[in-house]
Amino acid sequence: MSAHHSNSIQHLYEGDQSKLYSGVMQHHADVNSDESKAQVKRIWKIFWILLVITIAEVIVGMFYSHHMNPAVKAFFFLALTVLKAGYIVSVFMHLGDEFKGFIITVLIPLVLFVWFIIAFLADGGFWLRMNESSPARHTIEHVAK
Amino acid sequence: MSQTTVVTAAKEPSLWAGGRSPYNVSYGKMMTWFFLLSDALTFGAFLIAYGTTRFFSAVWPDANQVFKSFPFAGERNLPLLFVSLMTFILIMSSVTMVLAVHAGHYGDKKNVAKWLQWTIVGGICFLSCQAWEWTHLHAECGGLWGAFTDVNTPVDQFRHFFGEKSLPYVDAHPLVAMQSAHGFFNYFFTITGFHGGHVTSGVIFNILILVNTVNGVYERRGHYEMVEKIGLYWHFVDLVWVFVFTCFYLL
Repeated sequence: MSAHHSNSIQHLYEGDQSKLYSGVMQHHADVNSDESKAQVKRIWKIFWILLVITIAEVIVGMFYSHHMNPAVKAFFFLALTVLKAGYIVSVFMHLGDEFKGFIITVLIPLVLFVWFIIAFLADGGFWLRMNESSPARHTIEHVAK
Repeated sequence: MSQTTVVTAAKEPSLWAGGRSPYNVSYGKMMTWFFLLSDALTFGAFLIAYGTTRFFSAVWPDANQVFKSFPFAGERNLPLLFVSLMTFILIMSSVTMVLAVHAGHYGDKKNVAKWLQWTIVGGICFLSCQAWEWTHLHAECGGLWGAFTDVNTPVDQFRHFFGEKSLPYVDAHPLVAMQSAHGFFNYFFTITGFHGGHVTSGVIFNILILVNTVNGVYERRGHYEMVEKIGLYWHFVDLVWVFVFTCFYLL
């Protein structure tokens, strides 16, 4: 294969490809267009949402979380965390603007976490019950003293 | 083959025919996403291991007790305040990064450079905060990894990390409590360290693309896709922090 040929392949897959998909072809050069301004506005809107959620989390974490039912507390913080993550991924990382097929491709492997979290936390709880009811633990503490 | 088929085919070439991405993304950008996906699984594994250890511990240090200091505030009790500042810095740097990416979409070299500079400043501020927090906890624990392993450690050295409700248990079973403190700090330094390593490499990447932007490399190339790809990485680091923040400081 000649050097010239491999150069043309390089051109096809590197230079051209990114030009095709990075949006420069569709995008207009005008950064002051209405579309551009609307996007910047959306970015700042998400910033304020993230800030308000974080402040709410910190206030609850400082003053209220100690008096809350552990399950309610976990649900409250995890729901807000997933909400924040959603905004970051969909707007800041522009995943929401990609093709639906691509969004699904990226998100589906994360479904594994559902099993992952449930299985491991349940296992942790099981070990706690085992340890608490094991006579061996008290023996160890006695020896250490 | 009939004429009509040919005309239709010319209008709408099959995605299976090759030559274009069915997802309308370049190879590099798609692989950045898949890399981040694998990184998410790594961070997820760390955090779930932390959760498992926490679930099998009868007592666990209370974040409001461990993280209550602020630089130059002395002994004052300011729970979560410093980490809130760190979170704010990281969210802010995410905004400046996405503004750099936005400017890149429009080929606006000056603004790409401007917002990348702010992102780098934000990243360095975050790392400085983390350095302070690590130094502080290093002094509190008498070490980083592997503190609280000696069975003869007096209970006073870790008792103050626990909340009021846990204290009767801590006093009754000091060794169990010590093991929890040991686990808590080992996971804390591992996970925030791994995250801090990501922030550090993110700052380095940002400096590299800032140099390239200023030198006009992307202008000559015709697009700022590299800024977009590094941006994905940077937002991912912010995303991980959102979860670290919840798991270590809030729950």
